[in-house]
Amino acid sequence: MLNYSNAITEEMSYSGLQISEVKPIMKLIVRGKKREFLSAVGKSLNLILPAEANTFTKSDKLTALWLSPDEWMIFSNEVSNIDSNDYETENLLNKNIIKTNLGAVTNVTDQFVLINFKGDKIYELFETGSPFNFNDFRKKRGSVTQTILAKIDVIIQHESQNEVNLFVRRSFSQHLFSWMNDSASRL
Amino acid sequence: MFLIHCPYCGEREQSEFKAGGEAHIVRPKQPTELSDDQWAEYLFMRKNIKGVQFERWVHTHGCRKWFNMVRDTSNDEIKAIYKMGEKPPTKYK
Repeated sequence: MLNYSNAITEEMSYSGLQISEVKPIMKLIVRGKKREFLSAVGKSLNLILPAEANTFTKSDKLTALWLSPDEWMIFSNEVSNIDSNDYETENLLNKNIIKTNLGAVTNVTDQFVLINFKGDKIYELFETGSPFNFNDFRKKRGSVTQTILAKIDVIIQHESQNEVNLFVRRSFSQHLFSWMNDSASRL
Repeated sequence: MFLIHCPYCGEREQSEFKAGGEAHIVRPKQPTELSDDQWAEYLFMRKNIKGVQFERWVHTHGCRKWFNMVRDTSNDEIKAIYKMGEKPPTKYK
Protein backbone atom coordinates (compact mmCIF):
# COMPACT_ATOMS: atom_id res chain seq x y z
CA MET A 1 0.00 0.00 0.00
CA LEU A 2 1.56 3.25 -1.12
CA ASN A 3 1.03 6.82 0.03
CA TYR A 4 -2.57 6.56 1.07
CA SER A 5 -3.67 8.58 4.01
CA ASN A 6 -5.61 6.64 6.58
CA ALA A 7 -9.28 6.25 5.78
CA ILE A 8 -9.93 5.82 9.49
CA THR A 9 -7.66 7.63 11.90
CA GLU A 10 -9.02 6.66 15.27
CA GLU A 11 -9.78 3.52 17.22
CA MET A 12 -13.09 3.17 18.94
CA SER A 13 -13.73 1.50 22.22
CA TYR A 14 -17.02 0.98 24.02
CA SER A 15 -18.00 -1.52 26.66
CA GLY A 16 -18.08 -4.86 24.85
CA LEU A 17 -16.90 -3.42 21.56
CA GLN A 18 -13.52 -2.38 20.11
CA ILE A 19 -13.28 -1.25 16.50
CA SER A 20 -10.07 -0.53 14.59
CA GLU A 21 -8.73 -0.55 11.06
CA VAL A 22 -6.16 -3.21 10.19
CA LYS A 23 -3.66 -2.18 7.54
CA PRO A 24 -1.96 -2.72 5.22
CA ILE A 25 -3.57 -6.03 4.32
CA MET A 26 -3.17 -7.51 0.87
CA LYS A 27 -6.55 -8.20 -0.75
CA LEU A 28 -7.24 -9.90 -4.06
CA ILE A 29 -10.42 -10.79 -5.91
CA VAL A 30 -10.12 -13.97 -7.95
CA ARG A 31 -12.72 -15.08 -10.48
CA GLY A 32 -12.99 -18.30 -12.42
CA LYS A 33 -15.36 -21.17 -13.14
CA LYS A 34 -13.30 -24.07 -14.43
CA ARG A 35 -12.23 -26.96 -12.25
CA GLU A 36 -8.63 -26.35 -13.38
CA PHE A 37 -8.91 -22.81 -12.00
CA LEU A 38 -9.83 -24.09 -8.53
CA SER A 39 -7.01 -26.63 -8.50
CA ALA A 40 -4.49 -24.09 -9.85
CA VAL A 41 -5.36 -21.61 -7.07
CA GLY A 42 -5.24 -24.42 -4.52
CA LYS A 43 -1.81 -25.58 -5.64
CA SER A 44 -0.37 -22.05 -5.98
CA LEU A 45 -1.43 -20.85 -2.54
CA ASN A 46 -1.79 -24.07 -0.61
CA LEU A 47 -5.33 -22.93 0.13
CA ILE A 48 -8.57 -24.50 -1.08
CA LEU A 49 -11.17 -21.95 -2.16
CA PRO A 50 -14.47 -22.50 -0.31
CA ALA A 51 -17.07 -24.13 -2.55
CA GLU A 52 -19.91 -23.80 -0.05
CA ALA A 53 -21.81 -20.52 -0.15
CA ASN A 54 -21.24 -17.97 2.64
CA THR A 55 -18.15 -19.66 4.10
CA PHE A 56 -14.40 -19.04 4.26
CA THR A 57 -11.24 -21.15 4.39
CA LYS A 58 -7.99 -20.26 6.06
CA SER A 59 -4.32 -21.24 5.80
CA ASP A 60 -1.33 -20.00 7.78
CA LYS A 61 -0.87 -16.91 5.66
CA LEU A 62 -4.11 -16.38 3.76
CA THR A 63 -7.89 -16.41 4.10
CA ALA A 64 -10.31 -16.98 1.19
CA LEU A 65 -13.88 -15.67 1.40
CA TRP A 66 -16.72 -16.96 -0.78
CA LEU A 67 -18.37 -14.00 -2.52
CA SER A 68 -20.32 -15.66 -5.31
CA PRO A 69 -20.23 -19.03 -7.14
CA ASP A 70 -17.32 -17.85 -9.30
CA GLU A 71 -15.75 -15.14 -7.14
CA TRP A 72 -13.59 -15.16 -4.01
CA MET A 73 -11.66 -12.63 -1.99
CA ILE A 74 -8.22 -13.65 -0.74
CA PHE A 75 -6.51 -11.59 1.92
CA SER A 76 -3.37 -11.88 4.03
CA ASN A 77 -3.66 -12.81 7.69
CA GLU A 78 -0.68 -10.66 8.63
CA VAL A 79 -0.04 -7.04 7.75
CA SER A 80 2.23 -6.58 4.75
CA ASN A 81 5.03 -4.14 3.95
CA ILE A 82 3.75 -0.57 4.03
CA ASP A 83 6.31 0.71 1.49
CA SER A 84 5.62 -1.72 -1.30
CA ASN A 85 2.87 -2.56 -3.74
CA ASP A 86 4.53 -5.77 -4.78
CA TYR A 87 2.69 -8.80 -3.47
CA GLU A 88 4.10 -12.29 -3.73
CA THR A 89 0.65 -13.91 -3.79
CA GLU A 90 -0.53 -11.68 -6.61
CA ASN A 91 2.56 -12.43 -8.68
CA LEU A 92 2.08 -16.14 -8.13
CA LEU A 93 -1.55 -15.98 -9.23
CA ASN A 94 -0.71 -13.79 -12.22
CA LYS A 95 1.68 -16.50 -13.35
CA ASN A 96 -0.58 -19.48 -12.67
CA ILE A 97 -4.06 -18.07 -13.36
CA ILE A 98 -3.92 -15.10 -15.71
CA LYS A 99 -1.13 -16.24 -17.98
CA THR A 100 -2.77 -19.63 -18.38
CA ASN A 101 -6.19 -18.04 -19.08
CA LEU A 102 -7.91 -19.88 -16.24
CA GLY A 103 -9.50 -16.85 -14.59
CA ALA A 104 -9.05 -13.27 -13.42
CA VAL A 105 -7.10 -11.77 -10.52
CA THR A 106 -7.68 -8.20 -9.37
CA ASN A 107 -5.69 -6.47 -6.67
CA VAL A 108 -8.17 -4.66 -4.41
CA THR A 109 -5.76 -3.90 -1.57
CA ASP A 110 -6.39 -0.17 -1.76
CA GLN A 111 -10.04 -0.47 -2.74
CA PHE A 112 -11.25 -2.15 0.43
CA VAL A 113 -10.67 -1.16 4.02
CA LEU A 114 -10.54 -3.90 6.62
CA ILE A 115 -12.16 -3.03 9.94
CA ASN A 116 -11.72 -5.42 12.84
CA PHE A 117 -14.32 -5.78 15.59
CA LYS A 118 -13.76 -7.36 18.96
CA GLY A 119 -16.21 -7.82 21.80
CA ASP A 120 -19.57 -9.33 22.60
CA LYS A 121 -21.72 -6.51 21.23
CA ILE A 122 -20.60 -6.71 17.60
CA TYR A 123 -23.85 -8.12 16.27
CA GLU A 124 -25.94 -5.77 18.38
CA LEU A 125 -24.22 -2.97 16.47
CA PHE A 126 -24.78 -4.62 13.07
CA GLU A 127 -28.42 -5.28 13.86
CA THR A 128 -29.08 -1.57 14.23
CA GLY A 129 -28.39 -0.99 10.54
CA SER A 130 -28.58 -4.19 8.53
CA PRO A 131 -31.48 -6.21 7.04
CA PHE A 132 -29.45 -9.42 7.37
CA ASN A 133 -30.49 -12.06 9.93
CA PHE A 134 -27.38 -12.65 12.04
CA ASN A 135 -28.91 -15.33 14.31
CA ASP A 136 -27.53 -18.36 12.45
CA PHE A 137 -24.54 -16.48 11.10
CA ARG A 138 -23.06 -15.76 14.54
CA LYS A 139 -23.48 -19.37 15.69
CA LYS A 140 -21.90 -20.98 12.64
CA ARG A 141 -18.13 -21.37 12.37
CA GLY A 142 -16.52 -19.94 9.26
CA SER A 143 -19.40 -17.85 7.97
CA VAL A 144 -19.19 -14.92 5.58
CA THR A 145 -21.84 -12.69 4.09
CA GLN A 146 -22.19 -9.75 1.78
CA THR A 147 -24.97 -7.47 2.87
CA ILE A 148 -25.89 -3.86 3.62
CA LEU A 149 -24.92 -1.95 6.74
CA ALA A 150 -26.23 1.59 7.05
CA LYS A 151 -27.08 1.36 3.31
CA ILE A 152 -23.44 0.59 2.49
CA ASP A 153 -22.29 -2.64 0.83
CA VAL A 154 -20.08 -4.62 3.19
CA ILE A 155 -18.49 -8.05 3.43
CA ILE A 156 -18.67 -9.49 6.94
CA GLN A 157 -16.49 -12.39 8.08
CA HIS A 158 -17.17 -14.19 11.37
CA GLU A 159 -13.54 -14.80 12.34
CA SER A 160 -14.19 -16.35 15.73
CA GLN A 161 -16.50 -15.85 18.65
CA ASN A 162 -16.35 -12.17 19.58
CA GLU A 163 -14.16 -11.28 16.60
CA VAL A 164 -15.41 -10.14 13.20
CA ASN A 165 -13.74 -8.66 10.12
CA LEU A 166 -15.61 -6.23 7.91
CA PHE A 167 -14.59 -5.07 4.44
CA VAL A 168 -15.97 -1.82 3.09
CA ARG A 169 -15.07 0.27 0.05
CA ARG A 170 -12.52 2.94 0.91
CA SER A 171 -14.73 5.83 -0.19
CA PHE A 172 -17.51 4.69 2.16
CA SER A 173 -15.29 3.78 5.10
CA GLN A 174 -15.15 7.14 6.85
CA HIS A 175 -18.90 7.56 6.71
CA LEU A 176 -19.50 4.01 7.91
CA PHE A 177 -17.03 4.50 10.74
CA SER A 178 -18.69 7.66 11.91
CA TRP A 179 -22.11 5.97 11.67
CA MET A 180 -20.78 3.09 13.78
CA ASN A 181 -19.37 5.53 16.30
CA ASP A 182 -22.75 7.13 16.63
CA SER A 183 -24.68 3.86 16.74
CA ALA A 184 -22.30 2.13 19.17
CA SER A 185 -22.57 5.00 21.62
CA ARG A 186 -26.27 4.15 22.03
CA LEU A 187 -25.95 0.38 22.49
CA MET B 1 -40.79 -5.90 2.87
CA PHE B 2 -40.48 -9.58 2.05
CA LEU B 3 -37.83 -12.28 1.99
CA ILE B 4 -36.37 -13.68 -1.21
CA HIS B 5 -34.51 -16.97 -1.43
CA CYS B 6 -31.40 -16.28 -3.53
CA PRO B 7 -30.50 -19.57 -5.29
CA TYR B 8 -26.84 -18.97 -4.34
CA CYS B 9 -26.82 -17.20 -0.95
CA GLY B 10 -30.06 -18.34 0.67
CA GLU B 11 -32.82 -16.28 2.23
CA ARG B 12 -32.25 -12.53 2.23
CA GLU B 13 -34.26 -9.38 2.68
CA GLN B 14 -35.81 -7.82 -0.41
CA SER B 15 -33.81 -4.59 -0.07
CA GLU B 16 -30.68 -6.52 -1.12
CA PHE B 17 -32.25 -7.26 -4.51
CA LYS B 18 -33.29 -5.38 -7.60
CA ALA B 19 -36.01 -6.38 -10.02
CA GLY B 20 -34.96 -6.73 -13.65
CA GLY B 21 -38.29 -6.85 -15.45
CA GLU B 22 -40.04 -9.57 -17.35
CA ALA B 23 -38.13 -12.82 -17.98
CA HIS B 24 -37.84 -15.04 -21.05
CA ILE B 25 -38.07 -12.31 -23.66
CA VAL B 26 -36.24 -13.66 -26.70
CA ARG B 27 -34.24 -11.29 -28.86
CA PRO B 28 -35.32 -11.61 -32.51
CA LYS B 29 -32.77 -13.53 -34.58
CA GLN B 30 -32.82 -11.05 -37.49
CA PRO B 31 -33.45 -7.57 -36.02
CA THR B 32 -32.74 -5.86 -39.35
CA GLU B 33 -35.69 -7.60 -40.99
CA LEU B 34 -38.20 -6.32 -38.42
CA SER B 35 -40.45 -3.33 -38.88
CA ASP B 36 -40.16 -0.46 -36.42
CA ASP B 37 -43.37 -1.57 -34.75
CA GLN B 38 -42.11 -5.13 -34.28
CA TRP B 39 -38.81 -3.87 -32.92
CA ALA B 40 -40.57 -1.51 -30.52
CA GLU B 41 -42.78 -4.39 -29.43
CA TYR B 42 -39.69 -6.44 -28.52
CA LEU B 43 -37.84 -3.53 -26.94
CA PHE B 44 -40.45 -1.71 -24.90
CA MET B 45 -43.70 -3.60 -24.54
CA ARG B 46 -44.07 -5.63 -21.35
CA LYS B 47 -47.04 -7.62 -20.09
CA ASN B 48 -47.27 -6.14 -16.58
CA ILE B 49 -49.95 -8.61 -15.56
CA LYS B 50 -51.88 -8.71 -12.31
CA GLY B 51 -51.29 -12.27 -11.16
CA VAL B 52 -48.52 -14.79 -11.76
CA GLN B 53 -45.61 -13.24 -13.62
CA PHE B 54 -42.15 -14.52 -14.67
CA GLU B 55 -39.46 -12.02 -13.70
CA ARG B 56 -35.71 -11.56 -13.57
CA TRP B 57 -34.11 -10.43 -10.33
CA VAL B 58 -30.53 -9.68 -9.29
CA HIS B 59 -28.93 -10.01 -5.86
CA THR B 60 -27.26 -6.60 -6.13
CA HIS B 61 -25.95 -6.29 -2.58
CA GLY B 62 -24.94 -9.94 -2.27
CA CYS B 63 -23.53 -12.33 -4.84
CA ARG B 64 -24.55 -10.07 -7.77
CA LYS B 65 -26.04 -13.01 -9.68
CA TRP B 66 -29.16 -12.89 -11.81
CA PHE B 67 -31.95 -15.42 -11.41
CA ASN B 68 -35.60 -15.93 -12.35
CA MET B 69 -38.63 -15.68 -10.14
CA VAL B 70 -42.29 -16.57 -10.51
CA ARG B 71 -44.20 -14.03 -8.47
CA ASP B 72 -47.87 -13.26 -7.98
CA THR B 73 -47.90 -9.49 -8.45
CA SER B 74 -51.25 -9.10 -6.71
CA ASN B 75 -50.00 -10.29 -3.31
CA ASP B 76 -46.18 -10.58 -3.71
CA GLU B 77 -46.28 -14.33 -3.12
CA ILE B 78 -43.16 -15.95 -4.57
CA LYS B 79 -44.18 -19.19 -6.30
CA ALA B 80 -40.81 -20.38 -7.57
CA ILE B 81 -37.19 -19.32 -8.01
CA TYR B 82 -34.83 -20.86 -10.56
CA LYS B 83 -31.40 -20.06 -11.94
CA MET B 84 -30.67 -18.40 -15.26
CA GLY B 85 -30.66 -20.94 -18.07
CA GLU B 86 -32.99 -23.34 -16.26
CA LYS B 87 -36.41 -24.11 -17.70
CA PRO B 88 -39.34 -22.25 -16.08
CA PRO B 89 -41.70 -24.41 -14.00
CA THR B 90 -44.53 -25.42 -16.29
CA LYS B 91 -47.32 -25.45 -13.73
CA TYR B 92 -47.50 -21.64 -13.59
CA LYS B 93 -47.61 -21.06 -17.34
